[in-house]
Amino acid sequence: MIGALIIVFREVIEAGLIIGIVLAATRSVVGSRKWVSLGVLGGILVSCIVAAFTGTIAAFFDGFGQEIFNAIILGVAVVMLAWHNIWMAIHGREMAGELKHAGEEVREGRRTLAALAIVVGAAVLREGSEVVLFLYGVLIGGGGTVQTVATGAFLGLGLGGAMSALTYLGLLKIPTRHIFKVTSWLITLLAAGMAAQAVSFLEKAGVVEMLSNTVWDSSGLLSEKSIAGKVLHTLIGYSDQPSALQLLAYLATLVAIIATTRLVTAQPKRVAA
Amino acid sequence: MLKFVLAGLLAFTPAALAEDMVTYEITLKGAAFDKTELKIPAGKPFIIKLNNANAAPAELEAKDMKIEKVAAGNTSIVVRVKAMAPGKYLFVDEYQEDVAKGYVIVE
Repeated sequence: MIGALIIVFREVIEAGLIIGIVLAATRSVVGSRKWVSLGVLGGILVSCIVAAFTGTIAAFFDGFGQEIFNAIILGVAVVMLAWHNIWMAIHGREMAGELKHAGEEVREGRRTLAALAIVVGAAVLREGSEVVLFLYGVLIGGGGTVQTVATGAFLGLGLGGAMSALTYLGLLKIPTRHIFKVTSWLITLLAAGMAAQAVSFLEKAGVVEMLSNTVWDSSGLLSEKSIAGKVLHTLIGYSDQPSALQLLAYLATLVAIIATTRLVTAQPKRVAA
Repeated sequence: MLKFVLAGLLAFTPAALAEDMVTYEITLKGAAFDKTELKIPAGKPFIIKLNNANAAPAELEAKDMKIEKVAAGNTSIVVRVKAMAPGKYLFVDEYQEDVAKGYVIVE
């Protein structure tokens, strides 16, 4: 039972954290919970479909279909996160104020909520299909252990949910005037980490081979596979053996989002002055 | 857009990929790999091919070699591993990691 619990928990840590952050980042936007729930449900649904077609997906690209698929999902998530952050930088202050219900804003707001729902769905999907496959294996494996394994698996899922709740509640403890800044940074770092991870999948698939030298090896210090390593990996993109290209993708995404945010928020002020 | 991205990626997939790397094949049957030791020369990237002979899915995992990939029941998967320093590296079927183990011995 403990084994199943650990396997499932390991797989859902990432999604758990991301859901918590997205909930906190959008808590002032009307209808955000509905969109996040839609993202989770959609992610679970697609996980089942992907799990059913694992063999088919794997066979693409000379056997590296899964890696390419993961890289694309991560790439989409990076774009959605960047877009959300930039949009929030422009409209965030207005939304918090009296313009909250202005038609145009709300409609636009929904669009970025849809973007974040996609991010949540992608987070669930990334490891979700592995959880589905694991549970399916247990089911068809039969034997008397099915019940205990299933119990462990659901406890693992529950722990993942608790992780979301803790992340969300923890972020809400931050004073209101700072929370926007904090969640913006979290989302920027999330995006940068995902960009680096997308590159790592492309490297595993053999699609990119340049700058493949390992920049540092801190696996002895903090393994990326440990629980703490996984949490840091999700939050800030920690990698214990990043390649030069992963590092470059990380920094480029960071700089691109920060620079664009600065640019779009600086312009209206200049006009006003 | 997705089609576009896929087409772009296809164009970049090196065709000679499998030819210049040695593939080491292992088979998972029940809760055991047919080879519990794979001897591989140091300093060269390689490919591991896992045949999952079980009806249940498996997940080949090796922390040090950065492998983490699922194999549906009765299918095969391939993973690329970068050049490794000499050493003994554990690989497992994550879904039954307590029993299904093997080592890659790089020398």
